[in-house]
Amino acid sequence: MNIAMELQNVHKTIGQKEIIKGLNFSIRSGEVFGFLGPNGAGKTTTIRMMVGLMNITKGDIKINGSSIKDDFKEAIQHVGAIVENPEMYPFMSGWKNLKHYARMIPGITDNRIKEVITLVGLEKAIHEKVGRYSLGGMRQRIGIAQALLHSPSILILDEPTNGLDPAGIREIRHYIRNLAKKENVSVIVSSHLLTEIELMCDRIGIIKNGELVTVEDVRDNQENDQHITVKLEVDDKMAAITLLKDQFDIEAKEVQSNVTFKIEKDQIPLIVKQLVQENIAVFEVALERSSLEDKFFELIGENTIA
Amino acid sequence: MLNFFSLIKNEQIKLYSRFATWSMYIIMAAIILIAALIVFIFGEVDQQQYGDDWQTQLATETKDLKDSQEEMEFMAFDSEIAKNEYYLENDIKPQPYDTWQFTLENAGLSMLISLFTIIIAAGIISNEFRWGGTIKLLLIRPISRTKILFSKFVSVLLFSLTMLIALFVTSLLVGLIFFGVNGVNPNIVQMGSDGIEEVSILIEILTQYGLNVVTLIMMATFAFMISTLFRSSAMAIGLAIFLMFTGNTIIGFLADYEWTKYILFANTNLGQYFGSGSPIIESMTLGFSVAVLIVYFVIFILVSWLSFAKRDIAGH
Repeated sequence: MNIAMELQNVHKTIGQKEIIKGLNFSIRSGEVFGFLGPNGAGKTTTIRMMVGLMNITKGDIKINGSSIKDDFKEAIQHVGAIVENPEMYPFMSGWKNLKHYARMIPGITDNRIKEVITLVGLEKAIHEKVGRYSLGGMRQRIGIAQALLHSPSILILDEPTNGLDPAGIREIRHYIRNLAKKENVSVIVSSHLLTEIELMCDRIGIIKNGELVTVEDVRDNQENDQHITVKLEVDDKMAAITLLKDQFDIEAKEVQSNVTFKIEKDQIPLIVKQLVQENIAVFEVALERSSLEDKFFELIGENTIA
Repeated sequence: MLNFFSLIKNEQIKLYSRFATWSMYIIMAAIILIAALIVFIFGEVDQQQYGDDWQTQLATETKDLKDSQEEMEFMAFDSEIAKNEYYLENDIKPQPYDTWQFTLENAGLSMLISLFTIIIAAGIISNEFRWGGTIKLLLIRPISRTKILFSKFVSVLLFSLTMLIALFVTSLLVGLIFFGVNGVNPNIVQMGSDGIEEVSILIEILTQYGLNVVTLIMMATFAFMISTLFRSSAMAIGLAIFLMFTGNTIIGFLADYEWTKYILFANTNLGQYFGSGSPIIESMTLGFSVAVLIVYFVIFILVSWLSFAKRDIAGH
């Protein structure tokens, strides 16, 4: 699999403070990579270094083989990005804003601009001044349109779901997956919320205090979901365990005050029905968190999740 | 190169998409109009029409001027008297006030253009930071920061040039309506470096406007540097305007010292080497001033470039 972007021992020191302490990871072509971490972990700083807005103190970032440090123009032309909020010139229309950015890269035709506008669904508002765009959705869309103008092979989106409603988030998620799959675009999505990017990413890198804690394969975790862990709270634990063993051939364990076992999701109603028929009182049936979520909380600490 | 023109086009579009820019043109046009009205209503002396017996009229006028000058014991009307005598000696009939004269006088309004150019120069970089960070989207294109910086600088110069042309054209048109015109390129009589001389008014206008461009460019470059350095337009506007207005006063105080001639403001007014002007410090020459200006200009540009091309774009 081709490598679209590679971070090689990237450090960033501002003043005396080391903000990024040696990042090493790469993004493959056509994958959606989630960049996850609490606010202040160094996500935005890393992204700013990826696009050359900040100097890299030590190490290097290679984009399609070119160094962003030494060969900025060659490296950046493959990249489309939103860094923090996608701010546009408020006194110009969406169209004029896009034209403005289109002029900066040779070969972007008016047709391409129209194509991108259709893609993000901004046809209606495109001739309105950006200053009049309602917060969130429309601004995010024009931001993505701007990033896609030159058909980049790497798309970097810093907190793209910021300020979006659930429908908007779903739309963006769908859209990002499509881009990766159909056009083989590598997408880097940063977020401080696991739930928002879990569903759109292939892999998630977790960053904390300027260090990469782990890189997790999301697809693996989802495959495991076919065998989910169920927690039961019943009055008679022994009876429940015996029943599961006899009737469903399931090895259940007593964990604290619960009965825990692994099972396929469709079987849950049947089990509950049997338990009730045997006069075992069921207080709670709960699914354990996926392993990724567990890991995330473990690494980051729950209190830091917004 | 095509690339560079696109960048300049972008900057010009951003400038003229804002009402603030247009309001500068409106203010300038209003001032020209008011100036014309004032001259038209109150400026009887200037508009004095000389009839067929203009020689006698001039002679009387000159005598009156001499009398009042003696009373005041002051050389206030020296140049007026000299001019009148020149008219009589050379048998030239004085021309009435016309749009050329009006346009020439309005060269002084380039001070206003300096002011506006400072405002534009001060904002052209810092606004990109202020508008929530459009600078980020500007700098992640395959274009070097140096190129972006210079496209912005050239845009500032282009703006002031446009404004200067607007000043010239508007003055000419407004003057034409109020005062009419004495031919395509009449000569005027004025005080020159070697006494009274007769010059083509068009050349005189171009000289005056051209000399003012020097101050204009230097102040714009200064504001541009401050704006890039501090990323704040308020700071740049304040500092540049303060220096523009106090610069000459400061030079006045320091005129006794020889080193004063190295100060920017001692050199911005190249008019001191033309016409009836005289240099602030005797040892100064046109070549010296031009050299000093070039050194300052290069320093301003270099500081702007160093601070723009290398620094991190962090925060908002």
